[in-house]
Amino acid sequence: MNENKPENILSVKNISKNFPGVKALDGVSIDVQRGTVHGIVGENGAGKSTLMKILSGVYTRNSGSITFDSEDIKSTTPHKSMSMGLSIIYQELNIVSTMTVGENIFLGRFKEVGGMRGTHAKAKELLDSIGSTINTTTMVGDLSVSEKQMVEIAKALSFDSKLIIMDEPSSSLTDDEMKDLVKIIHQLKKQGISIIYISHKLDEIFDFCDIVTVMRDGKVIDTKPIGEITRSEMITKMVGRSIENEFPERPRNVGETLMEVRSINTKKLKNVSFELKKGEILGLVGLVGAGRTEIVRAIFGADRTFGHEIVIDGKVVKIKAPSDAKRAGISLVPEDRKLEGLILPFTVESNISLASLDKLTSKMGFLNKSKEKTMAEKHIKSLGIKTPSTKTRVESLSGGNQQKCVVGRWMELEPRILIMDEPTRGIDVGAKYEIYLLMKEIVKNGGSVILISSELPEVLNMSNRVLTICDGRITGEFDPEKSSTHEIMEKAFEFIDKGTKS
Amino acid sequence: MSDLILSQKSNIRESILDFSKEYIVLFAIAILSIVTGIVEPKFLSVANMTNIMRQFGPLIMVCLGMTFVIIGGFIDLSVSGTIPLVVVITHSMIEPFGMVPALITGMIVGAICGFINSLLILFSGATTQAEALFITYGTMVVYGGLALLYTGGVTHYMTYMEADYSLFTVIGSGTVGVFSVTFLIFLVVVTALYIFQSKTYLGRTINLIGGNKTAARLSGVSIKKGIISMFTINGFMAGLSGIILFSRVTQASPTLGRGYETQAILAVVVGGTSLLGGKGSVIRTVIGTLLVILLGNCMNMLGVDVFMQNMMRGAILVIAIWLDAKRQH
Repeated sequence: MNENKPENILSVKNISKNFPGVKALDGVSIDVQRGTVHGIVGENGAGKSTLMKILSGVYTRNSGSITFDSEDIKSTTPHKSMSMGLSIIYQELNIVSTMTVGENIFLGRFKEVGGMRGTHAKAKELLDSIGSTINTTTMVGDLSVSEKQMVEIAKALSFDSKLIIMDEPSSSLTDDEMKDLVKIIHQLKKQGISIIYISHKLDEIFDFCDIVTVMRDGKVIDTKPIGEITRSEMITKMVGRSIENEFPERPRNVGETLMEVRSINTKKLKNVSFELKKGEILGLVGLVGAGRTEIVRAIFGADRTFGHEIVIDGKVVKIKAPSDAKRAGISLVPEDRKLEGLILPFTVESNISLASLDKLTSKMGFLNKSKEKTMAEKHIKSLGIKTPSTKTRVESLSGGNQQKCVVGRWMELEPRILIMDEPTRGIDVGAKYEIYLLMKEIVKNGGSVILISSELPEVLNMSNRVLTICDGRITGEFDPEKSSTHEIMEKAFEFIDKGTKS
Repeated sequence: MSDLILSQKSNIRESILDFSKEYIVLFAIAILSIVTGIVEPKFLSVANMTNIMRQFGPLIMVCLGMTFVIIGGFIDLSVSGTIPLVVVITHSMIEPFGMVPALITGMIVGAICGFINSLLILFSGATTQAEALFITYGTMVVYGGLALLYTGGVTHYMTYMEADYSLFTVIGSGTVGVFSVTFLIFLVVVTALYIFQSKTYLGRTINLIGGNKTAARLSGVSIKKGIISMFTINGFMAGLSGIILFSRVTQASPTLGRGYETQAILAVVVGGTSLLGGKGSVIRTVIGTLLVILLGNCMNMLGVDVFMQNMMRGAILVIAIWLDAKRQH
């Protein structure tokens, strides 16, 4: 298969990486040819980011070999790999916003390029070479996301990169900005630079990638030239089964209005009002940082707000703290499982009982431990949590099982309104499906669900109704069965179109 | 399936680690006792054992209280200000109001000092150990200053009083059979606190706050109640420590209890309660306190220079914190 070996700029053989409780990468092999755009697709948690972090030297591998530019790479650091000609452009751009464009490009190398004058001159050359007109003396903090990306690309070029890895570069770009990026990618390719392009957007992969590798559950499922694979084949390979049953059938239990949210205002949110119906799954769609999380945190009483009203069953409920929300029948599975959801060094049992401790407490203030154990066992069984015992520390479980512990905690309260903020982030496909089923069950029993997710297909397939959020406002309302993805995304990007950024 | 095996493995490793952690302190106590006993047989004399138990009495109370604050992820330096304040107020109450009201007032003053600390923490919005450190450093100075102000810096002697002070004599040096009264008080208190910590809602709340404040809050656990109770318990225990100390030395000095805060932190950490919060127990603290006191006693017995002793204490604290940090990874 590999007769043209010297043609490969990067050759990864059998790489494995273990994290406590998880095999993040399992015998991954990928060859990247010189001057090609190599796409990598896979669901969240498929191992793409872990692989990139190993290549760039952020993580060390447990086994396997890496050959870059005919050189065997035993161990590396982010700085070393950059100097060798392997650069990464991360989703969260690695940029000092209080410094100028030129300074960012040559950060820590001012002397080598001849002082500040040389820095700006060379920076301009690099930016010109990719057709960008950004002024090198502008503060990076004043640039748009796509301009920041240009700066990152220029920085990569300044290291004479032979391979540039782009980790979901398009996730926060507008269509026009995307076109510029595509132009640059073609130009880089012409200069003989290879690109690894990671994306969730399959359109892009088919648009300009030459070869594509599909990853799932830490393994490479297939690598094929783009002409030899169809879209549905690719999706089937990504999810491990055909697309029809990636999501359970959409529940249809929508009834009367259950909750009204009237004008939430915070530093970030501007006059957010909406309704939630009984038996409804309501999806909130928006970019990261659009204010989705802030909305549900405000409802839940987790943050300080400037006066809003929550009406449940026609009655105004005062929610000043999460404990009030709990009493009103609202539950929140928070966005960051590890920081906000779990008490990692504690047992599975005490993580599950966390929200129901008052139920387990006698009038004298004593906890009933055997009741606690029974409670934990009930949810371990009903949610299929894989754990050796109720006394196991929750940090030793896999991501999916950890998430189920958080979900179980709230199921115990039989919530009327379950808010789930990125409930399937970083968990495997099987566990995802189980979470979907759980949402379905809740609405079947007359509860309602508010679902926030960055994975659009998830929101569109599970929700009865979708609200788009942009820049702290609700910009649109859709029936996901009757609207196109394009329409919805347009609303989710509304502020950029209006040019709030100068 | 592989998940299961992995977690079991780490469980076994953990329990070995947990065991060795306990074992190290007990091992240190044993070695220390044996070596000192061989070099200086007087160490094992009844007189010295009584001496050790006497030191243990007042210090353990502060250490037990401090355990809750540290498990809750905070720290409290103010105990060495609370102790003299409690002592001078209790003393001044004996003549006008009698022994029992004085005793009760003393305990309440201790609890109030702790309560004020918790209010300052809550109102300032402090969430970190470092913030608590500075706030309680401030109240330590204030409480200690109040004690000086109250007495004008004069030390009063219990034995010069006209009033009946027999209750304090009993607390300080009474015995029931072979046990000193102080030791019996310790047994009652440690049992009560152990039950509080492991079996009550509030005890669990304090643990949860130390484990992950955000997660606890987002699950509707009252952080306020937890912070108030951990600091109030600590203040109360400092008060109790002050009263035992006062009863033993029979004098109300506005400088009693100096240095107790560092010794208490040392004992708690050496016992194996994590400075990061969430992990620890009063039983560990009992062992830790024992080691700290034995260490001082042994060094005295072996004729180690006093300045050298302080240096040793500091070094041990650093080592204990270092071991604690290592265990986290």
